[in-house]
Amino acid sequence: MQKDIVIVGLNHRSAPIEVRESVAVENSYVREALSRLRELPSIHEGVILSTCNRVEVVATASDHLVAFTSIKNFLGEPKAHRVPGPLEEQHVYTYQGSDAVRHIFRVAASLDSMVVGEPQILGQLKQYYDAARQEGTVGTILHRLFHRSFSVAKRVRTETGIGSGAVSVSSVAVDLARRIFDRFDDKTVMLIGAGKMGDLMARHLISQGVKSLMVTNRTFDRAVELAEKIHGSPIRFEDFPRYLKIADLVIGCASAPEVLIDAATVERVLRERKQKAMFFIDIGDRRNFDSRINNLDNVYLYNIDDLTSVAQDNLQERASEAEKAEEIVLEEVQGFVRWIGSLEQVPTITALRQRFDDIRRKEIDKSLGGGLKDLSEPQRAALEDMTSAMINKLLHAPISQLKRNPKDDDDDATLYVAALKRLFDLEDK
Amino acid sequence: MEANLVKVTAVVYLAATASFFYFVLRKDTAAKLPSLVLLVGFVFHTLALVARFMNEGFAAVAFMGEALLFKSWLMVGVYSLVQLKYRLSVLGCIIAPLALLMTLAALAFGSDAGEVPPGLKTFWLPLHVTLAFLGNAVFALAFGVSLIYLLQERYLKHKKITALMKRFPSLESLDRLNYQLLIWGFPLMTLGILTGSLWAGIHWGHYWSWEPRQISSGIAWIFYGAILHGRITAGLRGKKAALLTMFGFCVVLGYFFLGDAMFPGRHGGSFE
Repeated sequence: MQKDIVIVGLNHRSAPIEVRESVAVENSYVREALSRLRELPSIHEGVILSTCNRVEVVATASDHLVAFTSIKNFLGEPKAHRVPGPLEEQHVYTYQGSDAVRHIFRVAASLDSMVVGEPQILGQLKQYYDAARQEGTVGTILHRLFHRSFSVAKRVRTETGIGSGAVSVSSVAVDLARRIFDRFDDKTVMLIGAGKMGDLMARHLISQGVKSLMVTNRTFDRAVELAEKIHGSPIRFEDFPRYLKIADLVIGCASAPEVLIDAATVERVLRERKQKAMFFIDIGDRRNFDSRINNLDNVYLYNIDDLTSVAQDNLQERASEAEKAEEIVLEEVQGFVRWIGSLEQVPTITALRQRFDDIRRKEIDKSLGGGLKDLSEPQRAALEDMTSAMINKLLHAPISQLKRNPKDDDDDATLYVAALKRLFDLEDK
Repeated sequence: MEANLVKVTAVVYLAATASFFYFVLRKDTAAKLPSLVLLVGFVFHTLALVARFMNEGFAAVAFMGEALLFKSWLMVGVYSLVQLKYRLSVLGCIIAPLALLMTLAALAFGSDAGEVPPGLKTFWLPLHVTLAFLGNAVFALAFGVSLIYLLQERYLKHKKITALMKRFPSLESLDRLNYQLLIWGFPLMTLGILTGSLWAGIHWGHYWSWEPRQISSGIAWIFYGAILHGRITAGLRGKKAALLTMFGFCVVLGYFFLGDAMFPGRHGGSFE
């Protein structure tokens, strides 16, 4: 019985978020969904992957067309307590055979991600694979497929620069801070304003282990509130210039109409702190920091546009690294397809022998019931021996040819298996 | 034998230079290979020095060729020590080619430049030269560190984040290393000048003779002293400190190569 790898899925490119959400499989429902999946016609093994950017069902099936339809229906089913949106044909993609292998390898290597090279997808893939394994819906083929995809992802990560370079504004800022400062655990951050971006960046810096954080805002209550949330200490707005000298990183996100810190102030502050380096990050809607600050020695000022353009550059670099990664994926797909081909060899050989033997049996019985019915016992035994020797001799060359290491010739093994099945009508065995 | 050892050293330093650049450009600064190659060069370098000293029967470090050989040996040694604590493969891209140039120059100058008068062959010679050169070697490293600092600083100021820059250590650690090198280099230089002066006093009867080398190293000493003072008291750091450190080394280097040739004094090989 020939088993094929099939994938039916939706991702950030094929379907809008509402559609993805409507078919998403919630964590608590995954086990149930897996056992439902197993019941579907023609499906043997299955793994369900459901993240915010993609919902995919990876399965093995005896008939890929049947599987495609049943999985589509399965995805469109009403979930636990959710009414599914319209699941239209154009939202869903389907892959089969080597295309399916390529797709899953690309997903694992983060080539299919919205932010190419982001590392989370591999962990998610592992998590959903584990769930399926525990549920018992993973067999030989998917086991091998997923483990292979994990190592492809690892290979891509080590052999290409796909994961290098920060691509979000706040990780770019942290990255830059790391080039200025050697360590964060003796650094103090000052957050001016309660804008959302500033909040996000302050949290990012805290997770990197900065020593302390000061929060200031025109409305003091907001400062207190925010400081409480992100474990900082609130400072009155009119006091913040006095505290500047102990701040190593200053984040401006006040969206104030005027410049809050000018170059002369920073110059004075620098003298007070004996020229210890400062990093100003201006990410409000309007510029909060005087751009001339960047001209001072030992001070670095980046605004939101600077950070975005660094992120863009890094994204471009990733894109060029992705081309290298695609080549690795193709190479690995070929290897996997070869393995799949070799899987079918043994059953094909058995079926072939069986077929020949059945014919032999039938013909002997026919003859012994007809023209040869007077044969003695020893003669019957000799006939038996002769016919089976004939068949063995006939089959010897093709079978040993087939058994040769399938890695020697790329597609030959798969090709021969297919040809034999066709020629000797082994399919419906 | 000795010249051959120097040649082997130069070849290995060439290989080290190539591998430092190869790995840094390949963005692989964790690779240990370049430092290992450099260390192999250092071993040959050591053997060459030992062979030279055995040939001469004393620590021969007075003339240009041998001085260069000794100085570059100290520099590679100090770099290897620093490398133990700081992972500074980028600095290797400066040190390895510098060591290569110096050994090549040592070969060009040859080893039979002249004879040191027997009266000068006392323990003062190796003591003075080792201290002075060790100071120079530390400053050579500070020069490299400053150069990397300035490159990194420039990239950050101009907001051009290149892949190469990612291989550099942070400004803070470069500046700290620069400071530490100064703290080590300055006393060594001071001791170098002091021992030289004492030796002159004992041998020639006067401690200070306004010899060109003395004047220039006096200037460099005041210069480095001022940087150190500024760093400790006035918050001199970062770009300015890096620029001054580089300039100070240029004074030292310039005199070492040009001064002795133009104004042959005792350091230039004429011992009146």
